Amino acid sequence: MLRLVAGRIASSIGTLLFVGLALFALTRSGPGSPARIVLGAEATAEQIAQFEQAHGLDRPFLSQYAAWLGDVTHGDFGRSFVTGRDVASEIANALPVTLAIVAFAFLIALVFGIGIGVLAALKPGGAFDRISRFASVLGLSVPAFWLGIVLIRFLAVDLRLLPPGGYFPLSSGLSLHLQSILMPSLSLAVYYIAVLARMTQASLQETLRGDYVRTARAMGLSSRQVVFYALVNALPPVVNLAALSFGYMFGWALIIEQVFNIPGLSRALLNAISQRDFLLLQGIVFLFTAIFVFANLGADLINRMLDPRQRAAA
Amino acid sequence: MLTVPKSRRAFLAAAAGGALGGVLPASLLHAQPNNGKTLTIVLPSNPITIDPINQLNHDAMVLGQTVFENLVEYDVDGVLKPQLAKALPVISADKKTYTFELRDDVTFHNGKKMTAEDVKYSFDYLLDPANKAARRSLFTRITKVTVLDPLKVQFELSEPYGPWLYFLTKYMGIYPAGSRKEHGDDYFKSKPAGVGTGFGVFEEWKPNDYISFRKNPNYWRKGLPHWDRLVVKMIPEDATRVAYLLTGQVDLISAPPPREFNRLKTMPGITGASRPTLGGALLMYTNNLKAPFDDVNFRKAVSAAIDRKTIGEKVYYGLLDPSSVPAPARGWWFNAEADKELGFDLAKATALLAKSKYATGAEFDLSIQAEPYLLDTKDAAIFVQAQLAKIGVKVNLKVYEFSVLIQQAIRGEHQAALQVFMSPGEPSYIMQVCLTPEQVLSKSTGYNNPEFNQTLATAFAETEESKLKELYGRLQALAARDAPIGVLGYVHASNLWRQAVQDVKVNQGLTIAPGEIKV
Repeated sequence: MLRLVAGRIASSIGTLLFVGLALFALTRSGPGSPARIVLGAEATAEQIAQFEQAHGLDRPFLSQYAAWLGDVTHGDFGRSFVTGRDVASEIANALPVTLAIVAFAFLIALVFGIGIGVLAALKPGGAFDRISRFASVLGLSVPAFWLGIVLIRFLAVDLRLLPPGGYFPLSSGLSLHLQSILMPSLSLAVYYIAVLARMTQASLQETLRGDYVRTARAMGLSSRQVVFYALVNALPPVVNLAALSFGYMFGWALIIEQVFNIPGLSRALLNAISQRDFLLLQGIVFLFTAIFVFANLGADLINRMLDPRQRAAA
Repeated sequence: MLTVPKSRRAFLAAAAGGALGGVLPASLLHAQPNNGKTLTIVLPSNPITIDPINQLNHDAMVLGQTVFENLVEYDVDGVLKPQLAKALPVISADKKTYTFELRDDVTFHNGKKMTAEDVKYSFDYLLDPANKAARRSLFTRITKVTVLDPLKVQFELSEPYGPWLYFLTKYMGIYPAGSRKEHGDDYFKSKPAGVGTGFGVFEEWKPNDYISFRKNPNYWRKGLPHWDRLVVKMIPEDATRVAYLLTGQVDLISAPPPREFNRLKTMPGITGASRPTLGGALLMYTNNLKAPFDDVNFRKAVSAAIDRKTIGEKVYYGLLDPSSVPAPARGWWFNAEADKELGFDLAKATALLAKSKYATGAEFDLSIQAEPYLLDTKDAAIFVQAQLAKIGVKVNLKVYEFSVLIQQAIRGEHQAALQVFMSPGEPSYIMQVCLTPEQVLSKSTGYNNPEFNQTLATAFAETEESKLKELYGRLQALAARDAPIGVLGYVHASNLWRQAVQDVKVNQGLTIAPGEIKV
């Protein structure tokens, strides 16, 4: 087990190094210079060149990458040459905001996705199954940004139940905090509720058709016990999908934070892209990659705990 | 089949009800309600600096002008009037020396009295090439700043150049002598506390969220500002910005969506107004050095094929005043004859095209900006594409981010590019920057006409409005003759605000002028 974890961590670091290199290549190959953003439309070619020299943007690509990587290993993500702010502290300020929204959305998606999937699987073709299939198609089809705007329109503007946007940290009080993340998290979660519900239903139905389930029933196990054991066996693909969903949610948060005016990591990323703020852009995408990679690692470990066959294989 | 005990179901229902009750109390708290005298306003974009000598964006100037002030102010009505100076400057007969007498009741936010030394220091810093001020090029005709006495300062220019006074409001500010060395440039960029004289004292910048200011208790204009705290929020999404206003989270928003503006301003509890800007032009940079814009008849045909009135009324719902020359129709220097020469006339457009090198039709790429700035140019671009198709000209729309598009225009790599260009509102600015050589946007058109350049230089040395009107009129006539640049019109600045807020004056040159607004 320990060897497995060590191996996976090593391959994760390799992935991160590769992503870092690809990021460097992509950010620097695009048109537009941060110097033009910082100095404005009327800056002369000489001013642009001075700026690029002062910030090392004129150095060879690999030399820039090596210097950045060296700094990152010391926890130094550099200082944004657009805003002048420390990238690490900017990420540290914005990360809890995005994490709160994504974590809450993930929780909603897990509870409702798995819950609906299980209930639908118990009586295939029943009323709940049919309704949940229809709702899942709807959930998969509705764009999150549109849903966000609709929620703002009805829950905030018309009914005045929730604030239209913005973020309150937990330190402002639980009620305010939950009010500020409810609509964004819900908008983010709806798609993944549908995805997880479909996967749970399909996987559980498949498992319930297994010979050992029939044997378990014949041996007199209660329905609840049978479903519980079947669910444990049906979970591995759901866990894998949930881990992927957790990573993807950080990407979708980009749109959600824009719609709900939330000062999180994704919004910082969007600004970094439009302002050619290379260092901030690299820092955030690097972090997103790390989250994605480690979420998958976590999923593998959970699956090994759930599935004895995988433990035996290890 | 699973059977859930009734008691458990009841328990879960009660728990869910209790949790929901905790989350949604009767108070229905909303984010940052407007208590007391806090004025909360919203900008559509994310600023990157408050430093007055590096201002880039029309919206962000609201921040710089809250903290910093200038010798003279180009005010919300488009009138040049004294600000930190007691009166407008005394100008020498050769128009090369400007002498300002300063107010003696102005203190910086750090409590230090403002003197002529501070003015000299501020300009010397701006003009030193080592400091890389983004707007330095506008002021390079200033050769020397001299302190005559603690409240009198003199500027010497290398040649007559009247417009520089108009550029101060947007691109300059006065800060204490020695403050740049003491604090460093990043301080002016992101936390300029204590270094301005304006009505707002910098308080906090929360990235991607808001920037706040406290009232300056020692402001020299007694009784102002009317608020205790000013919060400037950044909300890029149109629908969210409007929702914040409708739910009372903010007091005033800028850049409301044009198609919603007329409906929103009549909603209960909401007031709105728009005002034409003198310097916000919707321009089509046509590259005169590249085909097909290398032919004057083709350029004029394109101009004549565009129905600006319909664009103003139907595409931008009245938030664009049509004009085909680089002057706003409401400006005192507008030349209606020249405007007519380049105005919409489909038959004329067809005839001009037939006279051009491209009589059988042509095709060109029109670069447009991805992110809206005051107006979304994509709407106009689609309309222009359809109109030019009527005379046999095919337009390929190419969408770029601002930084890429402006780079193309500066380097002259484009064929044509459509953009809202926000100038300070002074008559000569657009003509100088886009239509004379050795300027930042010279290559956006590639136009270089000695007669045009000489007429503009004559205007720089003139101060009398009647003579200036004639000179600017002549420049527009030359622009009508050669059609070196496409002009579609001048944009309106528009604001929406809650009725609880009073004395809002929509600014001609700024997105929002918060100083005199009452909460």
